[in-house]
Amino acid sequence: MTSESPASSPEHRQPPPGAPVALSAQTGWHRLHPLSPVVSAGPRLAALVVVLLGFAVAQQRTAGSDLITDGVVIVIALAGGFIRWLVTRWQVADGVLRVDTGLVRRDSRRFPLSQVQAIDVVQTGIARVLGLAELRLRVAGGDASRGGRLACLRRADAEVLREQLLALARTARASASRSEVSGTDAADANATALSERAASAQSAVAWPPTASGSVTATAPAATPERVLFRVHPGRLAGGLLFSHVGVIALVAIGVLVAISAIWGEKAAVASFVSVGLGAILGIWRQFNSEFGTSVTIAPDGLRLKSGLIQVAAETIRPGRIQAVRLVEPLVWRAFGWCRLEIDVAGPRQREENHAEGHRLRGLIPVGTRAEADHMLSELLTNRPVPSLPAPAPARWKAPLKYHFLAWNGDARYVVASGGRVCRKTTWVPLEKVQSIRWLQGPVQRGFGLATVHLDVAGRRVTASIEDRATAEADAILARLPAVARAARLRHR
Amino acid sequence: MQKWVEVVDEFPHVAEQGFSEAGDDLTWLRPSPLLLRARRIEVALVTVPLAIIGLLGGLASSWQAAVGVGAGVVALGVLSERFLSRRVAAWGYAERKEDLMVRRGVLVKRQSVIPYGRMQFIDVTAGPIERSLGLATLRMHTAAAASDARIPGLDKSVAGVLRDQLASLGEAQAAGL
Repeated sequence: MTSESPASSPEHRQPPPGAPVALSAQTGWHRLHPLSPVVSAGPRLAALVVVLLGFAVAQQRTAGSDLITDGVVIVIALAGGFIRWLVTRWQVADGVLRVDTGLVRRDSRRFPLSQVQAIDVVQTGIARVLGLAELRLRVAGGDASRGGRLACLRRADAEVLREQLLALARTARASASRSEVSGTDAADANATALSERAASAQSAVAWPPTASGSVTATAPAATPERVLFRVHPGRLAGGLLFSHVGVIALVAIGVLVAISAIWGEKAAVASFVSVGLGAILGIWRQFNSEFGTSVTIAPDGLRLKSGLIQVAAETIRPGRIQAVRLVEPLVWRAFGWCRLEIDVAGPRQREENHAEGHRLRGLIPVGTRAEADHMLSELLTNRPVPSLPAPAPARWKAPLKYHFLAWNGDARYVVASGGRVCRKTTWVPLEKVQSIRWLQGPVQRGFGLATVHLDVAGRRVTASIEDRATAEADAILARLPAVARAARLRHR
Repeated sequence: MQKWVEVVDEFPHVAEQGFSEAGDDLTWLRPSPLLLRARRIEVALVTVPLAIIGLLGGLASSWQAAVGVGAGVVALGVLSERFLSRRVAAWGYAERKEDLMVRRGVLVKRQSVIPYGRMQFIDVTAGPIERSLGLATLRMHTAAAASDARIPGLDKSVAGVLRDQLASLGEAQAAGL
């Protein structure tokens, strides 16, 4: 340790656990949980153990010296993580979360809480076994690496810290107006007291949370939550089975079985195994991440919890939703199922989902139309439905799409639907529209049609009002900027 | 359509800005006439080496093939030149009170509306050909990746003035995400 060690200055000492300490005195540095090296090294460690075991089995040797070298390798792997834990510390002061780390190259990061878009609590498999959780801060713009991570804390502590950081973020934003909410019942009063105390103490955080501290006891009670949706496990499995990937996997398996049954050809089977395996892995990954999805509405926004082995909890602050999309694939429509997705600015922080950066966040992975309608009316007030079908010439221009092409709009939202086999309906709040594009290809010109795109932040969603009569598209382009501006001004 | 128009007309501050068929009284500004020359140079720079390579490649088999390939490439170049003048002529931009409008394209016609308040940053670039003709390309970036606001072939001085103007307008009307 360097001279910057947490215990070096007396006033920055960690308070003894259990003692009720004034918040203002708690601006000291904190460590992560001592078991965090095990969690962070977990997957690598597991791989290492497998490899070493493989070697041991292959060489048919069980000599003591080999075990010792294996042990040394594992200890070295752990030691790196341990040193990292030793030199990592964090602090919340003046509404800023600071995370210092690094032995040779010191790395000090500051995250102003007012800039935080969302705070997630993520538990990997090993972390769940050990009762730990990781806290991830999401900031707007930039890639995932710019977000803050606190890995790992005790699970209960992580939840409490998340509440406190979110409360601090609220006060940091509200401090300019100074209009605090004055609640009458105990829970509200407590929340107000927390935020006021936090503000008066220059945004310090009560840490570690003590059993006697009122913050810990009442933090959950201060946020009345309402469950909007909980995914049905059977329906999730069924939905995935009948999704695109699922159908591909089924076909691959069918071909596999057919080939091996008819020709008994082993080599041909081997080439299909990778395809089938890939599809199955994809399905499993999706099942794993979407299992047990539950959406609750809380004062600080929508809370999304999901995961079978790795559990993730994220909070989406109100007004951060850029677009809402309802997806109804062909087979799902037969069951009356659909998927509801939302687009939120900023990257989604799930490391294993690099390839799925273009996917939206699934609020309802698989649900009935009734569930989706309920959620939609919760997300969008008095939403328009796509009731204006495309004009007749569009039938010839886009025969496969025509039956789904429609749009509508009011002063707040524009909704557009499209898709050939899979119906996709996209709602865009007008105050989120970044730019409007009018487009007419040669075929469209022949039929007197044009398309208007509404772009929202990011690269994932564009609401496309496809194949409208040229006059209508012109009118949309002429009017929409002014309507969107009015919507922006209203939300300022 | 009906409903939407009704709702929109309920907003007096929207109506007073006179958006109704605003496209007619817009003054479309055009890129510099030098843009056509820049595009021609680009086409020539691609066509000539390709024709030479085709000629040499064709010579390996017979001189008829060489002439055929060379002539074909040159014909393609000339053909694309014919389209060029129309494409260059299609570029236009209009500075409206609250947003910038950019239009382009002959085969695929596009019009973009980018509110000044949505601008994240503006950059002015100039490739070697553009630089030699004193031209520059101005590009407005919004938070949306799909936004398409590029004005090529502006006079360097015009591009500079436009950039500063757009930047100050963007600052004045800036809106959050």
